Amino acid sequence: MDTVVEIQVDTEQSSEETGAAFERAFAAFHKVERACSRFDPDSELRKACRQIQIPVPVSPYLFEPLKFAMEMAEGTGGAFDPAVGKAMEENGFNRRYLTGELVESPSAASANYRDIVLDERNRTLTLLKPLVIDLGAVAKGFAIDLAANELKQFERFAVNAGGDLFAGGADERANAWSIGIQHPEQKDRVIHMIRVSNEAICTSGSYERKSAVKNGTHHIIDPKTKASPVDWISCSVVAPFAMLADAFSTTAFLLGADDGVAFIEQADLKGILITPDLQIVTVGGS
Amino acid sequence: MAKTGKKWIVLCSAALGAIYGAEYLATEANSPLQQLLPQYVQAAAQNGTGVYPGIQAPGSTPIDSSVSGGSVSGSSTPSGSASGGSASSSPTAGSGTNSLYKNGTYTGTGSNRRGTLQVAVTVQNDKITDVEIAGYEMHYSQSYIAGLPAQVLQNQSAQVDNVSGATFSTQAFEDAVQDALSQARNA
Repeated sequence: MDTVVEIQVDTEQSSEETGAAFERAFAAFHKVERACSRFDPDSELRKACRQIQIPVPVSPYLFEPLKFAMEMAEGTGGAFDPAVGKAMEENGFNRRYLTGELVESPSAASANYRDIVLDERNRTLTLLKPLVIDLGAVAKGFAIDLAANELKQFERFAVNAGGDLFAGGADERANAWSIGIQHPEQKDRVIHMIRVSNEAICTSGSYERKSAVKNGTHHIIDPKTKASPVDWISCSVVAPFAMLADAFSTTAFLLGADDGVAFIEQADLKGILITPDLQIVTVGGS
Repeated sequence: MAKTGKKWIVLCSAALGAIYGAEYLATEANSPLQQLLPQYVQAAAQNGTGVYPGIQAPGSTPIDSSVSGGSVSGSSTPSGSASGGSASSSPTAGSGTNSLYKNGTYTGTGSNRRGTLQVAVTVQNDKITDVEIAGYEMHYSQSYIAGLPAQVLQNQSAQVDNVSGATFSTQAFEDAVQDALSQARNA
């Protein structure tokens, strides 16, 4: 996933059991990447997307995050859309970090999430026309949730994947974490602190990955305009699940100033949104 | 919590449930879900796919019989893939001679907006030998689901044909049977 994953556990349990849980937690990231990678030509996602108009049975490691992305697409009228992958390729987000190989996928002239069909009963994915699915806004969060699930017996733990994290623990007294949100311009500084307890926080920022192809474009691309939204420079969302925080932080970014705030509010989540001139807007909660 | 907020939590819970099967949705005192919205932990079972690890002894029909066409078996996806969902802990088809289920009677609970119901399922030598509705507190007639226990015995599966006009109670019934079966599972 081109992300450094860091897992921290505080416990009095035996080191054997702890070690085994760590392995399962890290393994979750590999499983999700093998299923969802847009770059690995052998990922389950890439293989499934080579077949057009044919229902392809897929594993839950692909089906579930894709299903969540589809629900987000429907819930936002397509403002969030997993079918945005071709636009991402065209803006230079096309290089597999492990090997340097480039992807260039076939795609119909215009495609959107309505061209993706998921069959709940049969657990299949069908593409109605060639398109590129990007699960960047949900897959990492899903992996974090799976990893956190392996660690929930411990008194205190955190799973941190490149700044998206779940912080939790079974011990009421000790499982509140103080998390600092990275300053968008000065990488080593914190712009805002927040307390998190058995929750995930995910941050989407325009400063993270910039397009080498088009100035002003970064890795969050509006599926309709094919440009990057400019109302925010950073959106962080706190939620009970990392997949939820991940998707909502990206969506808030896409929806822009008023709609982004409203979207987080009506889902009763907490958010910290930062404008290009570094104004901090907090949403929900305390 | 706003109604829309619950929907997303249910979806996330169901997503994890699809990987881990019904175990994930079992009651856990420290689970943040249990603290927040206990009734929606059950609802997640409904909104989820109904794909659970279940009676999948070698050679028998999987719970989700629509995937039994065989197109999944040859693939290289993680164990359980589209037909079972639980990649981590449960035995998959062909796992050997150990029994999948402990003998005994297990009571499972299913619920939806209209109430809860309980079903007692008796398992003997990996066969379902008895299914009885043990508790019923729903806002419509029990007659809708009267025929379902017999179907479970016949199909040897939690999955039953939908009773027209009784989608929610049928789903809750299936959930209760599935809950009972997951308690019966040999870990």
